[in-house]
Amino acid sequence: MKRLLAFALMTMTVAAACGGGAGTASPSPSAAATSAAPSKTAAPTAAAVKVGLVTDVGGLNDKSFNALANQGRLDAEKDLKVQTSVTESKKQEDYVPNLTNYAQQKYDLVIAVGFLMTNATWKVAKQFPDVKFAIIDGAPANDKGDTENLPNVANLFFKEQEAGYLVGVIAATMAKNKVGKATHNTVCSMGGIPIPPVDRYIAGYQDAVKTVSPTTTILNGYSNDFVDQAKGKEVGLNHISKNCDILFQVAGASGLGYIQAAKDKGVYAIGVDADQAYVAPGTVLTSALKRVNKAVYDTIKAVVNKTFKAGDNSFNATNDGVGYGTLDPAVPADAKAAADKALADIKSGKITPKDAVQVK
Amino acid sequence: MEVLIGAGVLAATIRLATPVALAALGGVVTERSGVVNIALEGCMLVGAFFGVFAADKTGSLPAALAVAILAGLALAAMHAVAAITFRADQIVSGMALNILALGLTSYLDYQLYSSTGTPPTIPLVPNVHLGFLEKVPVLGGAVGDQSAIVWVTLAIVVFLQLFLFRTVPGLRLRSVGEHPRAADTLGIDVRRTRYWAVLASGALAALGGVYLSLSVAGSFSDNMTNGKGFIGLAAMIFGRWTPLGALGAALVFGYGDALSVSLQGVEVAGFVFPVQLLSTIPYLLTILAVAGFVGRSRMPAADGQPYESEGH
Repeated sequence: MKRLLAFALMTMTVAAACGGGAGTASPSPSAAATSAAPSKTAAPTAAAVKVGLVTDVGGLNDKSFNALANQGRLDAEKDLKVQTSVTESKKQEDYVPNLTNYAQQKYDLVIAVGFLMTNATWKVAKQFPDVKFAIIDGAPANDKGDTENLPNVANLFFKEQEAGYLVGVIAATMAKNKVGKATHNTVCSMGGIPIPPVDRYIAGYQDAVKTVSPTTTILNGYSNDFVDQAKGKEVGLNHISKNCDILFQVAGASGLGYIQAAKDKGVYAIGVDADQAYVAPGTVLTSALKRVNKAVYDTIKAVVNKTFKAGDNSFNATNDGVGYGTLDPAVPADAKAAADKALADIKSGKITPKDAVQVK
Repeated sequence: MEVLIGAGVLAATIRLATPVALAALGGVVTERSGVVNIALEGCMLVGAFFGVFAADKTGSLPAALAVAILAGLALAAMHAVAAITFRADQIVSGMALNILALGLTSYLDYQLYSSTGTPPTIPLVPNVHLGFLEKVPVLGGAVGDQSAIVWVTLAIVVFLQLFLFRTVPGLRLRSVGEHPRAADTLGIDVRRTRYWAVLASGALAALGGVYLSLSVAGSFSDNMTNGKGFIGLAAMIFGRWTPLGALGAALVFGYGDALSVSLQGVEVAGFVFPVQLLSTIPYLLTILAVAGFVGRSRMPAADGQPYESEGH
């Protein structure tokens, strides 16, 4: 009897935990309000466009990739009067059920956030050809792992190398001129796992440093993780012991540890994806921005305006899909000018940042 | 050589081993009393979050550490009630509490700090600078500038080793984990002993968690313990349920992690180790260590078995 009671208590605890953790947030109150409005006015027009967002395992609170995607969803909900909903994936096995859930409910657009969902998106999109899908950082991949574009899937790609190039110009200019704490003419970067979206950032960064300041030493490392701050910090301390004084992180939450190493040792860091100036003012020089929110917003808008385009959609410097973030006062005017010039040159096609890592 | 046994690698080993060692010590105490507590991971996570939360709200480091440990105690108390009083399946209870801890901390972090992250100005646990060691090669670099919690951990290891194997209360605790019926017959309160042991394990794990957030990272991020509580349980087994053994095992795991960082980009005879290969070092070391040693270890006889006294 007592065992049963204990088990019941535990079950309730788990249920509470899942609910509390926002396992599945149903349409938020504002969405419900907007969707209710048309029925009251009895407008004969089609119901509001319904958009479902499925996050990667990083969750809504990664302060970067998934959080930005969710921001795009909320912006669209406000501006475009669409009805939206979001589901967090807790593990990789959740991808298919989460995507299927929205497709079955006849959502107009289902957005998969992240490179790891390419196969899940392929499976579900093939099964529901009438539902539109979008996948960030990837293209649908069949069971063999080969890309197989589908007529109802938009692949949202970013030119991360362009954002990496811009912050690389700032780092190289400061390293070359030995500005502030950057005294060793050595710059570094750390990726999470060597996957294409991560390595494109690092490739652009290294390309900029080699172009702007060929004498600057470049180091690169990986924390082999996107969650573990302790590991990211160790890579940072290792790099600093090798004279690095500008550290560029491309490792999600693990990279926050890399920034912390720079803060502890009094050198500079560069953030990634979102504007991470707030993480450590005085340490974070700037951030390489990847405006996932814009990609999500634009894709939702395309569905509303019936201009949805399946296949590859590129977000780059030209359409403001990537850029650099808030500059710390430590960044001198000539570094900013150099970054702005590089941005203009990328837009005009004069510079095409490399997308392959040179210093592994 | 520098990348294998240099001061930098050894310092990194100690830093990476500390949270694992604290979880392992918690595991030793609770399993010696006969209760399996896999909620150590969750205890670490709530310690990490509530430490940062209290540091932010009060601005006081002692208050932050106290709140972190209280959070670990609270989670452990739930496990104790389920496992000891209600004699529930200890794995199920532990797993449920881990899910609760992950959901709760992620939810609160999202509600409180979603847009800006935890503030960069919170008080952190200071490092202990040992000036007199500065001139000593290797050793000075390895231990001369470690977090205060590292030294506390070392003190706890010594204390627990003496407590468990050299004192009467320690003997009683072990007897409860080996043969609770016999202990009960001799007038030892089995339940109370187990309660204390489970609570202590929660406090130790929470200290490991707050080390990660308030000493290493300076912030909280979702699931930042990343399985270190479970690795701690592996270290406990590998260390044969003794505090000194647990510390040694944690150092082996920490060394593996440290090597996977220090060997990155190092060229040996024109060959650079691929990162993917280096990341397997901790696991290879674990397999070697477990295959070589763990065969001879023995868990406490009544480990994981609920105790029902004759009176009921």
